[in-house]
Amino acid sequence: MKFTTITKWEFKQTLKSRKFLMIFFLQISVLFLMIFIFNAFAANIESEKGISITPSLSGFASLDVDDQGRLFAKYINPELITVSSSSFNDSYKGLNKGETTALVVVPGDSIEKIRNIQPISLQLYLDSADPKQSVVRDEVNTTTKLMAVAISDSWIDSFTPQNSTPAVVNQQNTGESLPMQIVNKAMIAILLFLPLFLFGNMIIDSVVGEKERKTGEILMAMPITPSEIIIGKSMAVVGIITLQVAIWIAILLITGFPILNPLLVFLLVFLTAIPVTGVTVIIAAYAKNYKEAGIGLTFGYIMMVGILMIPTLLYLSNKSLISNISPLTMVIRLFSGGSIPFWQFLIPVGFIFILSIISYWIAIKLFRRDDVVFGPRPGIIRLSLEICGLKRSKR
Amino acid sequence: MGDDNFMIKIDSLNKSFGKIKALNNLNLDIKRGELLGIIGPNGAGKTTAIRIISCILKPDSGDILVDGMSIHQEQIKIKSMIGYLPEEPNLYERFKARDLLRYFAELYEVPGEDIDDRIGELLELVDMSHRADDRINTFSKGLRQRIGIARALIHNPHIIIFDEPTMGLDPATSHNIREFIGELKGEKTIILCTHYMDEADALCDRVAVLNQGKIMDIGSPQELKSKIHGDIILNIKLETPDRKAAALIEGFSTVEDVSLSGNQYTISLKSKKDIKEIINAFDGQIISVNTKEPTLEDVFINSFKIR
Repeated sequence: MKFTTITKWEFKQTLKSRKFLMIFFLQISVLFLMIFIFNAFAANIESEKGISITPSLSGFASLDVDDQGRLFAKYINPELITVSSSSFNDSYKGLNKGETTALVVVPGDSIEKIRNIQPISLQLYLDSADPKQSVVRDEVNTTTKLMAVAISDSWIDSFTPQNSTPAVVNQQNTGESLPMQIVNKAMIAILLFLPLFLFGNMIIDSVVGEKERKTGEILMAMPITPSEIIIGKSMAVVGIITLQVAIWIAILLITGFPILNPLLVFLLVFLTAIPVTGVTVIIAAYAKNYKEAGIGLTFGYIMMVGILMIPTLLYLSNKSLISNISPLTMVIRLFSGGSIPFWQFLIPVGFIFILSIISYWIAIKLFRRDDVVFGPRPGIIRLSLEICGLKRSKR
Repeated sequence: MGDDNFMIKIDSLNKSFGKIKALNNLNLDIKRGELLGIIGPNGAGKTTAIRIISCILKPDSGDILVDGMSIHQEQIKIKSMIGYLPEEPNLYERFKARDLLRYFAELYEVPGEDIDDRIGELLELVDMSHRADDRINTFSKGLRQRIGIARALIHNPHIIIFDEPTMGLDPATSHNIREFIGELKGEKTIILCTHYMDEADALCDRVAVLNQGKIMDIGSPQELKSKIHGDIILNIKLETPDRKAAALIEGFSTVEDVSLSGNQYTISLKSKKDIKEIINAFDGQIISVNTKEPTLEDVFINSFKIR
């Protein structure tokens, strides 16, 4: 367990470094700035006068309406939700097949009931597996309230015939609009994963720095194994990332951003830091110098962002189960507030576990090799073949 | 535990870096408590050999037994027995001297209750107590080397390996470090790689001459000196080289070797018996004459035929 000694000292020395502290607090300042800009942006797209820079969201979600009196369909915002009308049975089947996000059933005698000043009950059926369901639910709530106000105004007007002006309906902001929901749920999730990619330079400095400053020679002469060195250094960086993520979550909560299940979200982001650091440490173990490591890091992080983002985009467009391998997808689902079966958490956690094992295994394999640490270093293809056991090592 | 007489036994060691063969079937035994010097030109394989002994590098083939333990099986135990000081001290710049020693003490698993005392002792020993709480990046090369020595000794190792410990240091610091190594002699098994022949001559029990990954010669400094150059070296500087006289003096029974460098003849003699006749052979052209006892530098030059 000597890796804990390395972790402890790396962590301690990092926190003592003025440069690091400056960067650490600069990142937090940037977060505050992002929150400020984000709020200004949100206010802008919410404002009628503001210019929306978001892409068209027409037809983002679909809603089937069983409304013979055409009462509900009249008030729903057609720019955001595609409304189709069909019978209850057909719509219900479509909902189960995932062809539509939600179904609203308006009773056939609703107009009659309104005339008799009786309450009417709308039934809303939602596809809980669909990430867009929370958006549709909010839109239906808004429409219902809008409808109620319009009916009440019209009813009051009928008692005052002298007032011939038609009822003006003002939309009330009872919930978040669709763009805001997307921004809140996806953007905040992405924001929380951002610190994972901000500390790559630390692990590069920690491992490549040993080679460049030649301190690695002394470390290799210590009674510790290469795996303890790699794990020890990586865990120090994971610790720093964890600290940063915790601070970010706290800031977002304090500044009023809705993060449901913050502990689970924190756990998922923390676990994701392990393979991200693992991939970074592979690059650091192989790189000869900082320049090479920087180039490698760019490619490595593009790959990691792809691994996180592609399943999430897949999830947003088509709620397939496989999209849950990305912890980012799971965090967005947690934000949406729907119930998630426990076994579905095992998908991203299992994926993180496998990715961590593979990345650290490769990094340790590399760090054990004299030629990689002290040179002359073999080429990437040859090295890959040797690690996979497809080519015999020349050593 | 291994053979009582030998602390380190190197057996048929080979190591290549790409196409370059750094060690070529190296065999060497080092006795307990011995101070063995390794000399050789740049690229002779000295650093590679000590890196393999320290378990930093793995050999391509062959084995080393350290206190009877193989480097292939007991790396961690062997590393615990060795204190290694590389040519450049290569210390963590942002650490304070005391913190650095504590870090390495913890890695060597020095018992927690002993760490402070041990650090204090070593800082005293290398005369760095007054700079204990300064950062390494404020130290000169000599001071770093002192901290490097303290670091190498933090776990009280049985074997100490010094790779060019006085390289690039001022004469006073070099002298202090040599004195310090001398004090450790007998108590520890020490390997000293050096380019300074006077250092090897003054400190080492035995010296191994390494070239192209092989031991060219090994023995006490005295044995090596007498083996290669005899007992006396006669230097005669002339106005112009006199090949006729040189051929003549090669015939004397006490002459072992004659070499010419510029206008100066260097003649190795078994005894002083024929000195007068040899000087007379260069009649009239002599600018200067001197005699000296051979040094390890002469051994080195002779071994590698630098004439």
